Amino acid sequence: MFVLAVSNLIHKKVRSLLSVLAVAIAITLLLVLVGLSHGTLNEVSQRMQSVEAEIVVRDRHFDLGSMSGGKLWEKEIPHLLDIKLDEQTKPSPADSSKTSTANISPPAIERVIPVFLGRMKLAGLSQNVFGVYPEDFPCFAGPRRLLEGVLFKDMDSPESAVKLFDTEAAQSDQSTDYIPLIIDQRLSRASGLHVGDSADFGVIPARIVGVVETGVAGRVFAPINMLRGANGISARTAHLFFIKAQKSLNTDQLQQLCEKIQQTTHRSAILVANYSQVLRDNFRNLTIFVNLVSVIALVICFLFIVVTIHTSVLERSREIAILHSLGASRSLILMQTIHESLIICSLGTLLGIVCAFGARWLIQTLQPLMTVQMRFSWLLIAAVIGLVGGILSALYPGYLALRHDPVETLSFE
Amino acid sequence: MTDHIVTTEKLCMTFRNSRMTTPVLFDIDLEIKSGEYVAIMGPSGCGKSTLMHILGLMLTPTSGRLILDSQDTVDLSPDKRAHLRRSKIGFVFQRFNLLPTLTAYQNIAIAERIRGHNLDGQIDRALASVDMTDKAQYKPGQLSIGQQQRIAVARAISHQPALVMADEPTGNLDSANSQRILQLFRDIHQQLGVTIIMITHSQTAAQQADRIIHITDGKIIHP
Repeated sequence: MFVLAVSNLIHKKVRSLLSVLAVAIAITLLLVLVGLSHGTLNEVSQRMQSVEAEIVVRDRHFDLGSMSGGKLWEKEIPHLLDIKLDEQTKPSPADSSKTSTANISPPAIERVIPVFLGRMKLAGLSQNVFGVYPEDFPCFAGPRRLLEGVLFKDMDSPESAVKLFDTEAAQSDQSTDYIPLIIDQRLSRASGLHVGDSADFGVIPARIVGVVETGVAGRVFAPINMLRGANGISARTAHLFFIKAQKSLNTDQLQQLCEKIQQTTHRSAILVANYSQVLRDNFRNLTIFVNLVSVIALVICFLFIVVTIHTSVLERSREIAILHSLGASRSLILMQTIHESLIICSLGTLLGIVCAFGARWLIQTLQPLMTVQMRFSWLLIAAVIGLVGGILSALYPGYLALRHDPVETLSFE
Repeated sequence: MTDHIVTTEKLCMTFRNSRMTTPVLFDIDLEIKSGEYVAIMGPSGCGKSTLMHILGLMLTPTSGRLILDSQDTVDLSPDKRAHLRRSKIGFVFQRFNLLPTLTAYQNIAIAERIRGHNLDGQIDRALASVDMTDKAQYKPGQLSIGQQQRIAVARAISHQPALVMADEPTGNLDSANSQRILQLFRDIHQQLGVTIIMITHSQTAAQQADRIIHITDGKIIHP
């Protein structure tokens, strides 16, 4: 029966090809949209998780999506460093009248790494600039190598910042200093910027001093004092505190520490490991939108297949009647329409997957900072959607085929 | 054990739709022996094609009994009727009814696949029996009408059915091709011993049958 389905599809080449293309477009759209949204979120969260810290603290009004909102104060750092986890001693049943005693443990936080965020345009895209203290940069770089240039060492003295942000000097072009920037390898490739190249931070000149391997939290780093100055802020504020906890703390204790930070500082604290989920929650509406567009594309595509197979059934009522006369069972006739639909959807899915890889290459070539993720599980899901959609699309035309009166059809001699 | 392959008792057929009721066959009592060659004749609209469709299990009669190869068929489910049809019956139609997208070989092969048979040699033998081996890879559109009907005959006999039902098999053919098809039916009947029920308008075609049944106004006319 398969040969009949194939020969029918070959017989109507253009229609079959259009149907295959419809499925391919829907599958490509599905994979690219999902891959782009998940890829972007995962890439950002993976970069944030690369920081050698366990907790991120932010103001409750700070939005992780836009990376803007309420600020933190560096003067809060000593309070954070004082936070201790209480180790409660459970009262024994025999001694239940006594209140529990708390054994005070040593401070739970080893280090607080403030980050001031700024924005600047590089490679045609607005980039978040991570303002960090030079001595904190290794916590962001981790094992990633500096591929070109130097670190920020001795580049963030308050004197240099003052000198740099003397606006009169800057406007009269007498300023000889600049904001040093370290960018990641991906941005370097996308923008073609290398060590020594200049960039503008408004009216203030900036210069690339280093290129670090891809995977660091920010695509662009600047010394924190200079970045604050460039944004007209003299106070020692930050947008994020990365908290490096004592090594001895386990996951439960880290969670307790988060809660403790929230209680004592009234700030929002999340585990870096949960950043991905928080980001996903933050972009829930985007995910819903992407899923909705994908579903609509698939529904349109499969409706197209229903129409194609339906037309095919209507055109081939005589053929179906012949199959009846040859003794084909109802299931066999239904399978005939399902086979045709499955062939269209299988080829379409296959082509769609190939096109999705092509689209990914194209997107990442034209927009190198975009990440389109392709997971094997998604390809598998796309294939299952294609096949299940193929079967479902064939059911109604197949039902119509079964309702054909073969005698009536064969009687029109 | 009867040697009748087809027996009908008080077979009636009435077509109904929302607007009208059309009685077509009335109390058809018929017995056809196994291996018999029967021609059914009658004027247009007399109900002979309807009778053929009932005998071929394509239609269910409104009332009466139809026993096919010792099996009462009236109450069978559609799938059981389809099973009986594919195992016991071969159809030859006036307009050949070959699948246009398949080759001659594939037209027979698909019938064999529906019947669940192995293909080994069966198709080649069927093609050889109608002298069409050299046209096996041709599609119906590339064959003459006579050749198409020979392929249709090959498809009908490839599984060596107990009963071949032919509905005006020469109705679309010129006299030379008609003769050839009729000769084919004679050969099949003699060599395979298969029962043939042929509906025809043609006196020439009917005369080669063992028996001629006349139908008029939905009733069998006994001479």
